[in-house]
Amino acid sequence: MSIDTTKVLTERVIGVAALVLAVVAPALVSGFWLNSILTQALILGIAAMSLIFLSAYGGMISLAQTGLMGIAGYALANMVTQRVPGGETKGLLLGWDPTLALIAAILLTVAIGLAFGAVASRSFGIYFLMLTLTYTVIAYLFVGSVTLIGGFSPVAGVDRYTPGFIGDIAGDRERLYYITLITAVSVYVLVRYLVRTPFGISFQGIRDEPLRMASLGYNVALHRTLAFGIGAFIAALAGVLYAWWFGQLSPTTMGLDATIQLLVIAVIGGLRRIEGAWLGALAFLIINNEVTNRIPSSGLPVIGGTFNTVIGFIFLAIVIVSPDGLMGIWDRLWEMLRRRGGPTHAEPEGSEPAIVSS
Amino acid sequence: MKVGRWKLLLPLALLAVGATIATSGALASSAQSSEVKFAIMTDCKGAFAFGYEVDTAGTIAALSQYAGAKPKNKKKPSAGMTGGKAGGKNLNLVGIGCGDETPALALKETRRLMVQLGADIMIGPLSGDEAVAIANWAKQNRSKTVIIGTAGSQDPTMQIAPKNVFRYHGDGAQWNAGLGEIVYKKLGWRTAALIGDDYSFPWTSAAGIIADFCGIGGKITKRVWTPPAGGDYAPFVRQLPRPNQVDGYFWLVGGANTATALTAFEQAYGPLKASQHSGNLFLYFLGANTTVAPRLVGSYVGGFGTFQTGGLKKAQARAYVKNASKWFTGQNVNDGFFYNYWNAAWAMVQGLNKSKGEVGVALQTRLPRTLKPGFQVANNGVLRLDSRRQAIQDQYQLQITKASGTGSVTTTIAGYVPNVDQTFGGYFGPNKPAPGRNFPPCVKKKLPWQGKVKVVKNGVITNQVIK
Repeated sequence: MSIDTTKVLTERVIGVAALVLAVVAPALVSGFWLNSILTQALILGIAAMSLIFLSAYGGMISLAQTGLMGIAGYALANMVTQRVPGGETKGLLLGWDPTLALIAAILLTVAIGLAFGAVASRSFGIYFLMLTLTYTVIAYLFVGSVTLIGGFSPVAGVDRYTPGFIGDIAGDRERLYYITLITAVSVYVLVRYLVRTPFGISFQGIRDEPLRMASLGYNVALHRTLAFGIGAFIAALAGVLYAWWFGQLSPTTMGLDATIQLLVIAVIGGLRRIEGAWLGALAFLIINNEVTNRIPSSGLPVIGGTFNTVIGFIFLAIVIVSPDGLMGIWDRLWEMLRRRGGPTHAEPEGSEPAIVSS
Repeated sequence: MKVGRWKLLLPLALLAVGATIATSGALASSAQSSEVKFAIMTDCKGAFAFGYEVDTAGTIAALSQYAGAKPKNKKKPSAGMTGGKAGGKNLNLVGIGCGDETPALALKETRRLMVQLGADIMIGPLSGDEAVAIANWAKQNRSKTVIIGTAGSQDPTMQIAPKNVFRYHGDGAQWNAGLGEIVYKKLGWRTAALIGDDYSFPWTSAAGIIADFCGIGGKITKRVWTPPAGGDYAPFVRQLPRPNQVDGYFWLVGGANTATALTAFEQAYGPLKASQHSGNLFLYFLGANTTVAPRLVGSYVGGFGTFQTGGLKKAQARAYVKNASKWFTGQNVNDGFFYNYWNAAWAMVQGLNKSKGEVGVALQTRLPRTLKPGFQVANNGVLRLDSRRQAIQDQYQLQITKASGTGSVTTTIAGYVPNVDQTFGGYFGPNKPAPGRNFPPCVKKKLPWQGKVKVVKNGVITNQVIK
């Protein structure tokens, strides 16, 4: 058996084991870890997945994903919350049926994503990056400035109004965890499927050789726009899950800090492989939580600064030691084994797509 | 690609260490019943970052005074405390939350402190939108008790008002009771514009000013709202009417940004004229008395948390200053942040003593409905909570003055309004909208204290009313 085949098999075994662990996690960890670390990691992983999907298969590093996630969350929050005594005080409080609101929020986000994508589809590299950052800034300022839909104060109570098939997630956080897990697995399967379809193959071709693909008759801009729409759909799923999980939304959900956070998660996990999304999110949250609990907020000895300084150093160390993130360490391990074991074999499809953007 | 062994082993070792730490955290054991776990929620980032040590100092000082705790470091409150007992149980400060005035981070920190670290009681938060977020969270977490530190938004104890949220100080509107009447009568203002950050605390502050100023016959001609912590106020001060078009301006910009906004105003319209500026001009934020503050000598200021009321000549006030000053060096115990956190911690001790260390609903039903804080004078010095667990408190309005001798800028107490309630005598209510950009409207309406704001001279409350 070749090294590459062994690697694929090992990854599958680890994947199944991780899934089994995830399924039994509620019995193993405390309520805080289930809700605040694992559930959040799955949600941020889905959001990071939307970024890695565009990056790994399309060479499009998008900073709009946080904005799209926020748009979905805000749309849902404004549509479902109600004006009742002792209830919420911010937002439109439309009181729509939760199922209708869920569908409308996702469709609205996808529509906005397609519009954003259409404008950005002819931009590459740093121009694409800046344009997508602008989208997020626009979304942030829009929800902050229009107090009718919330303003800078939080729109609350989103988790109390869920569709019947979702059930009570405000009181039953395990339910929310499993819903998030199912969504995460579905998104993973969807992306794995998509990249093997003719659309996915041509999308990867556009990533590597956009000019050649255009000369072959492929509509490059349309492919990139559609892919951006798919990314928006995944980000919208993350957005509604985040709204249910957090219960409240404020513009900082899609602020610059949140945007950088999502990028850091994707970079820590590894921008080249979609599995890195969840690995990066889990590592990011664990590091944040542990360091915040263990390091004082009021100044470190000798170097000064706060726990944020330590977190920054840890992320810096990860990126320096492994530029391809945590998934890169894994790949490097197999690279080492391959060198010991003899000549290289063909790499499995999609394992190391180059990030080309011009 | 050539792969160095260290490049593989180092990250793997790091991962192993990280996983061990994480696992220990995930499987951490639960609380001991012989102790009461509590937390402090404040800000260590953003415009209110200075509150981190002050709020912590106020809390620990009160616990030292009333529960036998001891600061670990007299110069650095955030180092924590040792000892402390209430209701027969040891007090365990499990953590100090680090917010940045945004609701999202406040909520994350609340979950960390109260769910992961297991605090049953939280003293805090500091800022308005943080309190809105936490009150919404508390509504679904009935067993946890929140005693608001010094946040001034109206919503947490008016429209939201969960039974496990308590506030032993006024909101932003209460802190400005009487201010509109003072500038109307003393400075002759008839028209004014207001400028403030675009979130719940400035909205609530503005609501109090509008109710007071318009109630007596003044008109607000323009309301300008700026993105919170936006930094650049130049475009927004340009939206204000020029100084010759209005009698004055009410400032409701938050925290350390006050001086920045006033500087932007000077750059647009020339030097500040003290008689034209009022509102939340909290001296503490005004560039440590060296930049714009000297030009505001004579301005009337809202009394946030009965801010800087140290000159009050009453035995109760003197006793508070004496007791509170014992525990830390370099802390101003007249600071509204210190004072409000002190009162919250003191209330917690009283509640725990009555509940015999029980937390949850048992504590919530026994938290005091009256308190005797330093700057309360009416009702024999007793502050009361209303049915939504919100303080009905005395309010002082201040004037920026020059200190005798040093010539530095300070404040003196100018006006006194007893027993200010959160509804302003029915002007606000749980079934009315929370203050916002355009609520309340500017209408003439009699408030309970209209025409009764008392003059305070040299720290003594007189029987004269402001004319």
